[in-house]
Amino acid sequence: MRQETIRRLFSLLLLSILIVAFGATSKLFLTLPNIFTLLREASVTGILAVGVTFVIITAGIDLSTGAIVAFVAMVCANIFYYTTLPVWVALAAGLLIGAGAGYLNGLLVTRLHLPDFIATLSTQGIFRGLALIIAIRSSTGSISNKVITNQGFLLLGDRVSVVYLVTIAFFVVALLGQGILKMTPLGTHTYAIGSSRKSADLSGINSDRVKKVAFTISGICSAVGALFLTARMQTAIPELGTGLEFDVIAAVVIGGCAFSGGRGDVFGSVVGALFMAILTNGIYKYNLPAAFHIIIKGCVIIIMVIFDSVYHRRMDDRIRKAGKMLDQAAAAAEAAGGGAGGIS
Amino acid sequence: MNVDDILLRAVDIEKSFSGVKVLKKVGLDIRRGEVHAVMGENGAGKSTLIKVLTGVYPRDEGKIFFNGASVTINSRQDAKDLGIAVIYQELSLIPTLTVAQNILLGQEICRAGILDNGAMKLAIRKLIETYGFSLNPDAIVETLSIAQRQTVEILKALSMQSSLIIMDEPTASLSVKESENLFQTIGALKKRGVSILYISHRLEEVYRLADRLTILRDGERIAVLSQGEINPRDVIRLMIGKELRQSEHAGRMRPSRPEVVLRVRNLSRRGVFSDISFDLHRGEVLGIGGLVGSGRSEILHCLFGSDRPDSGDILFEGKPIRGTVSRNIRSGFGLVPEDRRTQGFIPLLSMKRNIVLTNYDHLVGRRLFISGKSELAMCRDAIQRLDIRPANSEIHAGNLSGGNQQKVVVGKWLMRDLKMLLIDEPTAGIDVGVKEDIYALIGELAEKGVAVILVSSDLPELLRISHRILVMRKGRIFREFSEGSVSQEDVLKAASGIQDREIESNE
Repeated sequence: MRQETIRRLFSLLLLSILIVAFGATSKLFLTLPNIFTLLREASVTGILAVGVTFVIITAGIDLSTGAIVAFVAMVCANIFYYTTLPVWVALAAGLLIGAGAGYLNGLLVTRLHLPDFIATLSTQGIFRGLALIIAIRSSTGSISNKVITNQGFLLLGDRVSVVYLVTIAFFVVALLGQGILKMTPLGTHTYAIGSSRKSADLSGINSDRVKKVAFTISGICSAVGALFLTARMQTAIPELGTGLEFDVIAAVVIGGCAFSGGRGDVFGSVVGALFMAILTNGIYKYNLPAAFHIIIKGCVIIIMVIFDSVYHRRMDDRIRKAGKMLDQAAAAAEAAGGGAGGIS
Repeated sequence: MNVDDILLRAVDIEKSFSGVKVLKKVGLDIRRGEVHAVMGENGAGKSTLIKVLTGVYPRDEGKIFFNGASVTINSRQDAKDLGIAVIYQELSLIPTLTVAQNILLGQEICRAGILDNGAMKLAIRKLIETYGFSLNPDAIVETLSIAQRQTVEILKALSMQSSLIIMDEPTASLSVKESENLFQTIGALKKRGVSILYISHRLEEVYRLADRLTILRDGERIAVLSQGEINPRDVIRLMIGKELRQSEHAGRMRPSRPEVVLRVRNLSRRGVFSDISFDLHRGEVLGIGGLVGSGRSEILHCLFGSDRPDSGDILFEGKPIRGTVSRNIRSGFGLVPEDRRTQGFIPLLSMKRNIVLTNYDHLVGRRLFISGKSELAMCRDAIQRLDIRPANSEIHAGNLSGGNQQKVVVGKWLMRDLKMLLIDEPTAGIDVGVKEDIYALIGELAEKGVAVILVSSDLPELLRISHRILVMRKGRIFREFSEGSVSQEDVLKAASGIQDREIESNE
């Protein structure tokens, strides 16, 4: 069976174990209101995870998502505090800033050849710093968190009957993301450059472009998440989304994306986001210390990564036994041919 | 010859690397729908010729005509646009994508920006059926065998309307049955008018497949034979050149001392080598010859402990070895691997650190810290014994010349009580002077009683320093030369699978 298929079944299995375990032991857990709260909790992480899925499939990483959330939120808060511009201006500004921030990550990685980790670690600092600088301050200079009163904007934090808008947005973003991945050439190319960059280049794919697009998508998703989060909190603080990037990456990895790239999809990341939300929710229901949450999260990630490496070893073994070690032979031919060529 | 029949014609191609002429006025013409083989020893210029034809290297001189028109090929893309494709083993496939996605990568069929999966599958299925392959367009490439991947590569080339497909040692990693399938594929391509440039070391394949054969030697075109003229004896003679048959180029085998250091019995690693048995004696240089990919290097790694055999026994000084590299090193093993840069030394460490790296057990002893003085002393010793230049112990090993890098790799083993040295292509990419030093060193070690196993594709080298030679073929020991005089021709024949009793009459 394909690695993706096994991984999918595996993460679905973990998810159902969690649901069954919490459902069987808590009367509150499987009630409709709790389910919708739970979905709401999963949504912001999930929306960000859709974008980060693209980056991780290209064998990259994006550590700046949480900081982008803070920056975008702060820009919106400023617009509402200082101006009377219509809501759509704030939304458009937020999305544009998110896209720009993601594109900047892409530029750093492709033009300046920074490793993804370093590039987005640096921009994480930059975006959060910018959020601090533009934070609204009182006359004494201390940061004051102004409440947003724009009713139009606050609708984003609201719900339609029982379903929160953010949850609907989550599913729309996820569907769009999955569509791009599976139904457009861009999606195929995203997998291609993550799986084997050199081969993709040999097939005439512009890897740099794909990489930039992936980061931009991640930036846009962060902005979407930021808008809903801000509307729900009715304010913006510079610390918004601190550490969120790690929850997002955890969701993506639990969902089946391999850090080595080329594997996984948005559907998996949705499962991962739900898993994280249920874990948090269940643990609070039991009044267990929050520490349990992060310990379990850590263990699950380790299990998933072990799974990947075991699978790869088995796959390599199978191929080795079916034929010969091709890479070595080719490398040997190259070395022997080139070497002798130099002295003849 | 009908001019219209020529698909590609290369005239007087010249190419030099840092002043050394690798191709000297080489010509090549390939007809439409023919399988054209190119043979030559390592370093004859085959790879360079292909790289010139596919735009990897620019040519210094000469002209290339394609379909009768003069063309310039400056990049892979240029070659691709003309319809020249190279089958790069598995390199250019994306393991996690399907067969169909791989074949159409970068040329996907879309409708309004959305992938038209139906149309793509149809196109692929048509392509597969045209050539009669058995391949599922939805299969994921990483689950396919190497042979199937090769078929995908070929299909990818065909989907780009290639009229010339270059195959470089395509059977190097295929089993017998898989090779058979490839030959059938080649037959099908030929029937459809696709030309194939086939590079191989394997005589029997060329004999069977090629319509014509171009032989290169030392960067020159020596001969073009048509099908009827291809016979193993002549081909080998043309490849080596007559002058090399003289006796000074033959190696004289020497009787080995009775004391067995290493005993290998029925060693197998599935898909790589099988049923390997031999004895290695004290003070003996045992040469292992054979084609690249015949499993030689892998045996060395198994003996050293860096790979595990699937079955078989290895006895060192009468005791079975099981174990780790570090334990083997302590018992007196040393390995000079083929891939010097990634396996032999650590480029970013200083020469001194590279030399002491395997010898900390001696240096540290019972103390807690390493003494810088003793490190330096050891390095100085190595520099002096091996004449490493520049004699600067702090220089990064990666900045040394190839020959001096190799001296560092050998040097770290000389600094300890060595009993067995495994040495793989020791002089690949090394200039002549250092080569001699390394030969002298191997001789000296053997003199002192170190048992040496030498893997080499350089025939004169193999013949010159080996006391005894095993020739491998497709993962098995095909022949052993243990006495009398052995010529390059003998080894080459054995490596190509020709059992020839005639050698006795040469003596």
